[in-house]
Amino acid sequence: MISVYGRKEDFPIFSRKINGKNIIYLDSTATTQKPRQVLDAITGYYEGYNANVHRSVYKLADEATEVYEQSRSNVAQFIGAKNNEIIFTRNTTESLNLLSFTIGDSLRRGDRILITSMEHHSNILPWTRLEDRGIIVDYAGFDEEGHLDIGDLESKLKRETKIVSVTHQSNVLGTINPIEEIGKIVKENDSIFIIDAAQSIPHMPFRVRDEYDFVAFSGHKMLGPMGIGVLYGKYELLDKMPPFNRGGEMIKDVDFHSVIFEDPPIKFEAGTPNVEGAVGLSAAIDYLKVIGMEEVRRHEKHLTSITLKGMEDMKNVTYYGPRNVEDRGGVIAFNVKDVTNVRMNLEKNNVKLDHLYHSHDIATFLDERNVYVRSGHHCAEPLMRSLGLSGTARASYYVYNGEDDAEIFIKSLGELDVQR
Amino acid sequence: MSWTYNDEVMDRYQNPVKNGRMDNCDIKIDEASTTCGDKVVLYIKTNGNKIEDMRWEGDGCILSVVSTDLFCENSIGKEIRSIKETDDLAFVENFPVKISPGRINCVLLPLRAFRRGAKEK
Repeated sequence: MISVYGRKEDFPIFSRKINGKNIIYLDSTATTQKPRQVLDAITGYYEGYNANVHRSVYKLADEATEVYEQSRSNVAQFIGAKNNEIIFTRNTTESLNLLSFTIGDSLRRGDRILITSMEHHSNILPWTRLEDRGIIVDYAGFDEEGHLDIGDLESKLKRETKIVSVTHQSNVLGTINPIEEIGKIVKENDSIFIIDAAQSIPHMPFRVRDEYDFVAFSGHKMLGPMGIGVLYGKYELLDKMPPFNRGGEMIKDVDFHSVIFEDPPIKFEAGTPNVEGAVGLSAAIDYLKVIGMEEVRRHEKHLTSITLKGMEDMKNVTYYGPRNVEDRGGVIAFNVKDVTNVRMNLEKNNVKLDHLYHSHDIATFLDERNVYVRSGHHCAEPLMRSLGLSGTARASYYVYNGEDDAEIFIKSLGELDVQR
Repeated sequence: MSWTYNDEVMDRYQNPVKNGRMDNCDIKIDEASTTCGDKVVLYIKTNGNKIEDMRWEGDGCILSVVSTDLFCENSIGKEIRSIKETDDLAFVENFPVKISPGRINCVLLPLRAFRRGAKEK
């Protein structure tokens, strides 16, 4: 259960005062704060059983290997996968690049990859790198409220479309995409279905399904440490794929000019892995399991409702993405109209456009009230262009945020809404 | 508002002195910050190696707009070389309000544009 005040008591960083006041941290979409339980697990690993994994045969090494593999198992259980389908990576970006440099590299001239216009750069750039080899990248669009246009997606799904890679939840619009429905459509076309779940797995119940071939997510966006990410992959696919990186650990046998690779997932984990990261991520999952992911989702919907309502009552504030909280996560991108500026009369096709405050100005204004929001293009420039914007401010919630945070945020934003 | 956006800053943002195009300029510099979406065009009229007048057009955040407007006004009568040699830190310290490290690039936008585009004859 999450109290209306959130769960700040478990998070040491929230005991810090800045300018004598509490921190209102509203940037969990970028990275989350870490509970004491995660910090203790990482310290406990280094103080108690640090050794390299999968190599040596002495007691400490056995323990380190065991805890590393238990962490893998915990991740697998958390999303309903098998242990050998979980690859530890650095982050979502690396998980998606792993796919680009393996299954992506196996595509041929004329093959197509279908993504959406609401992707983070990490689910665009691994695919557009293949355009140099004559592979075509298509984008499914979204409607005015930020819902993915399923009809557009279906029409762009062609015989040549070998890969479909879609974000589960937009890091800007907050839109939760219907991945079960998309999965069925993709499978009718026999394409590989990849899900960027960086913004969904931390915030809602998630189980892998038969239609999902690969799922990528990051530890640091779900209370875990930075530098640990996950790629779920169907075993039969992982088994057929070539390795991504090559080196230590990932082999069964090496000769001067030949190699036999290990089985998945170790085949994809070349070199000493991030054991502390895996241990920390596992502790983060334990923490989330105690709350329950249904409860995490319920809490964030509640805070999002308060925030959207507060913004709707303001004269000059616009938010983006679905209006219905059932269709969106706790990430709210917004802009504030600048009514003071008579100089910038912007016109496009003879339509007068509102002049907006630059998102960095909104963020600095809120920063001076200890409210920390993100500003800029959120690593989603094509999405910003689709919206006709150069940037937005963005607030996002997690388990430690409470109604108090949402209220202070809305009150502070209100000061910008009405000023002069 | 607050200390970053004090009256001096906001007054200049709302009523810039050197905003608007210049038709008979000697140097025109287009500068865009791709990360922020800021766009500024500097119009420069020179007299020998000195700045006779400078104006700007564009859009950006409050800090880049104010910094650009002040830059245009303060550059008049100065030598191109001496402006180009202005130290970044000194330039930021000269700005009317204290700037957080994350916003320093906003203030430096006009100086960087000038350094890139202003050539001495």
